[in-house]
Amino acid sequence: MQALTSPEVRLLVSKEPIDAAAECAFLYTPEAGGIDIFIGTTRRFTGERETVELVYECYTEMALREMRRLVDAAAEQWPVKRCCIVHRVGVVPLAEPSVFIGVATPHRAEAFEACRFLIDSLKREVPIWKYERYTDGSGEWVGSGMQAG
Amino acid sequence: MPDVRLMLFSILREKVGRGCVELRLPDGATAGDAVDVLFHEHQHAAPLRSHVRIAVNCEYADGTCQLRDGDEVALITPVSGG
Repeated sequence: MQALTSPEVRLLVSKEPIDAAAECAFLYTPEAGGIDIFIGTTRRFTGERETVELVYECYTEMALREMRRLVDAAAEQWPVKRCCIVHRVGVVPLAEPSVFIGVATPHRAEAFEACRFLIDSLKREVPIWKYERYTDGSGEWVGSGMQAG
Repeated sequence: MPDVRLMLFSILREKVGRGCVELRLPDGATAGDAVDVLFHEHQHAAPLRSHVRIAVNCEYADGTCQLRDGDEVALITPVSGG
């Protein structure tokens, strides 16, 4: 587990299952009136292909720095009072969370917008890679444009 | 003659067979030069070349970034977190 934490921001990359209740508890503050949370989970079917599990690989040192950069960018646009980004790495079984993003702001509109910005930016910028393992024995690095192996 | 470390992940790590490659480069070499050396030695990975973003010491960087001794150059294939 590697983490960057402060009283307002919690960034974490870990092989352990994500404890959503604990992350929620971190976000509660009297300065906020709204908290928006995005949780990404392992989906069983993509079209007709059935997934067994996802496996995530991470360039952890850079990922934490990129997450910090994104949180700073969000805080420039919205009044972010608390924020957490947690990404699980290694195997993530069906239905379990791979990513948890939470934002606490004074009003709900800002929380929705900041949370969306963070998950969309994370998917473009943060060096984490998803390997999807299918029931037919095949697998692929998602979005890599080449077959694995 | 900077000694640098290339960091490889996901499909590129699999194609090259290692997550880390040490290189000694000529003085004045850039991050792009380091990437060129890797793909020259591993031509079966060449289709990935145009998809790779470069990071130097954990920050996205341009291929023209001049390298110094001890730099860590990461080859970031398209990311897919979340």
